[in-house]
Order: sequence, then structure tokens, then C-alpha cells
Amino acid sequence: MTASFIRSDDFAAFVTAIIEAGPVYGPVAKRSRFAFARLETPEELRLDYDVSILPPKKLFFPPAQDLLQFDEAGFRAPLEPTEKVLLGVHFYDVKAIDQTDLLFSERNYDINYMAHRETTTIVAANIQTVSSRAFFASVGADVQPKGHDAFLTAIAGGYVLETLTERGGALLKFGAFQPATDAQLKEAAAVNAAVLEQCPEKLEHGTEAIAAKVRAAFKNEAMWTAMAADCFSCGTCNTVCPTCYCFDVHDTWNVDQTSGQRTRYWDGCLTEDFAKCSLGEGACENFREERATRFRHRMMRKATYLNEKLGGPACVGCGRCSAGCTADIADPVRIINQIMAS
Amino acid sequence: MNHQCHWTEVENIFLPREATIVRSVQATPTETHFTLKMTDGQPIEYEPGQIVELSLFGYGEIPIGIASSPTRKNTFDLVVRSVGRVSGAVTALEKGQSVYVRGPLGRGFDLTKLRGQDVLIVAGGIGLCPTRSLIQYILDRRDEFKRFVLFYGAREPGLQLFTDDLTMWRTARDVEYCETVDKGDPSWSGNVGVITTLFPQVELTPETRAVICGPPIFYRFVIRELDMIGIPRENVFADLERRMKCGVGKCGHCQINDKYVCVDGPVFSFADVQGLEEAF
Ligand SMILES: Cc1cc2nc3c(=O)[nH]c(=O)nc-3n(C[C@H](O)[C@H](O)[C@H](O)COP(=O)(O)OP(=O)(O)OC[C@H]3O[C@@H](n4cnc5c(N)ncnc54)[C@H](O)[C@@H]3O)c2cc1C
Ligand code: SF4
Ligand code: SF4
Ligand code: FES
Repeated sequence: MTASFIRSDDFAAFVTAIIEAGPVYGPVAKRSRFAFARLETPEELRLDYDVSILPPKKLFFPPAQDLLQFDEAGFRAPLEPTEKVLLGVHFYDVKAIDQTDLLFSERNYDINYMAHRETTTIVAANIQTVSSRAFFASVGADVQPKGHDAFLTAIAGGYVLETLTERGGALLKFGAFQPATDAQLKEAAAVNAAVLEQCPEKLEHGTEAIAAKVRAAFKNEAMWTAMAADCFSCGTCNTVCPTCYCFDVHDTWNVDQTSGQRTRYWDGCLTEDFAKCSLGEGACENFREERATRFRHRMMRKATYLNEKLGGPACVGCGRCSAGCTADIADPVRIINQIMAS
Repeated sequence: MNHQCHWTEVENIFLPREATIVRSVQATPTETHFTLKMTDGQPIEYEPGQIVELSLFGYGEIPIGIASSPTRKNTFDLVVRSVGRVSGAVTALEKGQSVYVRGPLGRGFDLTKLRGQDVLIVAGGIGLCPTRSLIQYILDRRDEFKRFVLFYGAREPGLQLFTDDLTMWRTARDVEYCETVDKGDPSWSGNVGVITTLFPQVELTPETRAVICGPPIFYRFVIRELDMIGIPRENVFADLERRMKCGVGKCGHCQINDKYVCVDGPVFSFADVQGLEEAF
């Protein structure tokens, strides 16, 4: 690991140089909010963003991705990953990427995600603005982000760039970096520590206590029914979540009616048909028919089911689901704190 | 990143292989029995109880249990019930046409737990298809198993599957075969009633290993009978069905609490899933 410093005045030239070298994705303004998008100029980059509308997983796990294409001659995988830089990822989103990295590579290694992931250099960045529903400081606090190649922290007069991998180190040649001083490193550490004090929401208990109590609350039907009473089954809480990775797969024809594609699309366990099976003669069995059962499944996934595998909860406290839910019932902090208090 | 392999060195788990239909029989008004051969001549290696993702380009992919035993080489059987988009398109196919398969996928029957034991198989409706892989296996390696009892329940006589097999099993000495239909017709002289009505007809010991597969409601009733015989739940194996998309433990559709039917199953020991609230 090396730590370097770049002056604010030199930063735009650095971003320009990496944009010229290959595609760079970073947070940009989208009306009053922010989204990860391909950067054309350094001015577009908004490292002061609070949270992106969709998480950066969309680069590796696109909302719609062709798994194969077919025509009369046969079929093929259209996978053609390109080297790219993903710049400005907040640490909670790096933690989420660490989770999807594990989940897509374990047991059956999924090349459709992993190819895009392995060709990406991730530069994390410190959180300059805390979003209105964030609770990243109190969820899975003992799990550290690890999938990034470098970490950028804004300090007085410039940025400290800590490079952690070869890929990260390769960025240094694009800018006027000099070794960071101890004082600069200390300042960066203080900046990153300070942001942890600023979350507007907070879980009141540790990961294990939460996991045990949420799991034990499974059969509290009345509670789940009440919590989910206003749910529209829209699936927004799944779509915006950086750790959700469920998908649907279907085939479509092109207009020629001989060629087409098999595509996977983001899906969400809150949607009505997610667990529905056709049995024939019009009969079907929906294994999570009541919205309360789907609502409960999401919380079980976030707070308990995957903990052992992931080493922590499958929620990183970004607050996207809380802010995205029209009915404002999806906030894990409220749900968990209510269960813990019951 | 902290994982071992590199994407260029790994096979794409979503790419299927072509299989040719060598035989296609309309088994019931809605079910077609296919015999398939891998087009490249390389047979799939599978265990009884495993599944494949069967697909037709432009329609989609569906999970289907393999209905034949690996002891019968080169070809394999699938029975497809027409219930929707993909299955409807597949059941219309004929001999000589191609389908695509990925697999085998999932965990089949744990033969190490069945060998040397009395085995009871209880199959309801289309549940006979995946269990047929085990039935054939046992019949082909008969001396590896002790007593073999098979219960099969169909809704009506006209909906019975594998009628050639049934004719054979009715008189066979190496299987004690009992069958029932929920609703009889004038041609039917056999047992009428739900599958549990077969239990009083055969004396079963608590040492028996039981394999059960049927529609969702069937499990609750059958397990009650098995409990009454005193068969411990770790010796009961259930073949479960859930909505599936990927078949490889990623898409999330097939979950029962934190288990994935496509990779942890579809065959589960009852003891392993009975604590899961979403299982039965
Ligand atoms: C382990 C297992 C073994 C099976 N074995 C057989 C078999 O041997 N023969 C047979 O005919 N059927 C079997 N099925 C059921 C078969 O997969 C469904 O009938 C089929 O998926 C319906 O697809 P469709 O596109 O025709 O229907 P649609 O209603 O159009 O379904 C849309 C999609 O939902 C999913 N889906 C719908 N119903 C089911 C279902 N019951 N199970 C799983 N996914 C579903 C599929 O991905 C399907 O493509 C099995 C299912 C499982 C899980
Ligand atoms: S909890 Fe909210 S965001 Fe999630 S499905 Fe229900 S209404 Fe939509
Ligand atoms: S559950 Fe909500 S707060 Fe937690 S990671 Fe997902 S979107 Fe963010
Ligand atoms: S079918 Fe996709 S996870 Fe099991």
C-alpha cells in the first residue's frame, strides 16, 4: 500500500488523463440527485454527492444483460467486458460490492458478473455529504470494505490517494502525485472517522443480537402484516439496494422472428409473482402469496440469512430503500429497532 | 479482489447444450414424455433426482427433473407438463427436433443413505417423473437395496404416467407396487382414494428409508403417515419444487428461507428442512 497526495489544482488533469486512457464511471448530478455515469469531463464528477440513485452494482450486474443471443445458426454469449475505472464509490457501496463479488463467484462462478467486475478498477472516495436516511456507521460496523483498489479522501488543499492493489497503483502515473505526509494521512483518517458520527439514523444493537431476534420474530405474523400493510409490492426497495442481486430471465425475439436473446433483468422478492409456480390447468402455488411474507423475506435476507456466509449483515446502511419507498415502510432501521424493542 | 479464478478461465454457466429428441410420446392430454440424446454424442453424467434447465430459444428456460436413471446410458428422459409459455412450446415438439439443456443441476437422492436399506417411494402426480430416475436405478441395481415399495397416486386413471412401466411394475416381483386414483372411472378396478389410503395396505418398518415427491399439499399428509410408522425424519427425503430461473444458486427465486432448492436440493432430508417455516 502506498499513500500519495495530489493538489486540488492538479486533480482535474488527473481525471482527464484517466478518462483519456479508458472509460471512467463516477457520480454525476442527475436533476437534484446523483447517478453513476460515464464521465466525459472532470467537471461532471461530483465527489460531494450524498448517495447515488442506483448503486454502482449496475456496472457489473446491468439492469438488463443478455446471457446469450441466438439465431438460425446457433447461439453465443455476447460478453465483452472492457477495462474501466469506477471512481468515487462510498465505502458502504464497496462493502456491498464485496458481497455481490462473493455471491456471484461462490459455488457456481458467474462469468456474466465476474467478467465485468474483474475488469474494473475501483477507486473508493470519502463521503463528503451524508444522505438523509443513512445509517452506515451502525450496521455491520466490524466489516471493513476490501474490494477497492484505491481510496481517495478529500483534505485541505487536495486529495490523499491510498492505493491498495496493482490496479490502484497503476493510476498514479496519470497525475501529479507525490508521497503523502504523515500529517496528510492523519487528516484523511480524521475525515473518514468524522463522517461516521454524522448518520441521521442508527441501529441500536449489534449484528448478532439483531440476527437472532429478527430470525426469532419470523412467526410473528401479526407484526409482519402490520409492517407491510401499506406495501405496494413495487419492489423499489429491492431495485435500489446495493446488496440485492435477484434476477429474472426471459427470452425475446428480434423483429425478424428468427433471432433473439436470453436476458436477465433485475428482479425483486417483494414483487407479487416472485415465488409463484404454475402447476397446470390454471392452478398455481404462490409460496409467498401475502405481501407480509415477502416483506419478511427481505428483512430475513438483510439481517440474518446471509450473515454467516458474508461475515456480517446483507445491508450496508445506505438508506436507499428508506428514501425510495413511497409508503416509507422499508427503512431497515425502523423495522429492526421495532423488532428489537418488542 | 479476493477470489481465486479469472473469468477467462471459467465456463459460462448459462450456456446450454443441444439435445435431440429421439422419442416423443403424448403421455396424457397435457404431458409429453421425451427421450433425449445430447447432439454432440457426449452424454450428461447425472445422479438420480438431479434436474436440468430445459430451454427453447425465444421461449425460455424451465427446470425439469430427469425421469430416467443414469444406469440406462446415452439417452435420458424428461416428462414435460404443458402449463405455460416454455412448457407449452416444448410439449409441441416432435422427434428429430432440438431442445437445449443445462445441467445436471442440484443435488439428487443420496444413494449412500438408501443402499442396503428398505426403500419406500411415495409419488403423487407428476412427482413420479423425478422419482422414476430412482425407481429405475433401484430396479437396475436391485441387489444393492433390500425391500422396495412404491406408492403412486394419480388424480384419474387417464392421467397416469409411464403406463408401460406401471403395467410391468404391477406384476413385477422386485417391487411392491401400490397405486391409487383420487377419482375412478368405469375402466378402473383398483384403489380409489388419496395417496394416504395406500399406507394401510403394506406393513412398513420404522427402519424404512422414505422418498416422497408430489404437489405442494401432499407433503403434510404423507409425513403424518411416515411419523405414524415411526420413520425418523432424517430418513425421509423430500423432492421439492419452487419457482426457478437460474438453477445455479444466484437468481433467488427458489429460496426456502435461506436454502436454495436449485443447489441445496431439490432433494432434501426432511430433518434438514422441517425447521424452515417456508418449507411445507
Ligand atoms: C425441481 C423441479 C423439478 C421439476 N420437474 C418437472 C418435471 O419433471 N416435469 C414438468 O413438467 N415440470 C417440472 N417442474 C415444473 C416446471 O419447471 C414448470 O412447470 C415450468 O417452469 C413452467 O414454466 P412455463 O414457462 O411453461 O410456465 P409459466 O407459467 O409461463 O412460467 C414462467 C416461469 O416461471 C417459472 N416457473 C413457473 N412455474 C414453475 C414451477 N412449477 N416450478 C419451477 N419454476 C416455475 C419458470 O422459470 C417459468 O419459465 C419442475 C420444477 C422444479 C422446481
Ligand atoms: S416496502 Fe416499499 S419499496 Fe418495498 S415493495 Fe413495499 S412499497 Fe415498494
Ligand atoms: S437494505 Fe436498504 S439500507 Fe440496507 S443496503 Fe439495501 S438499500 Fe441500503
Ligand atoms: S433457481 Fe435461481 S437461485 Fe435457485
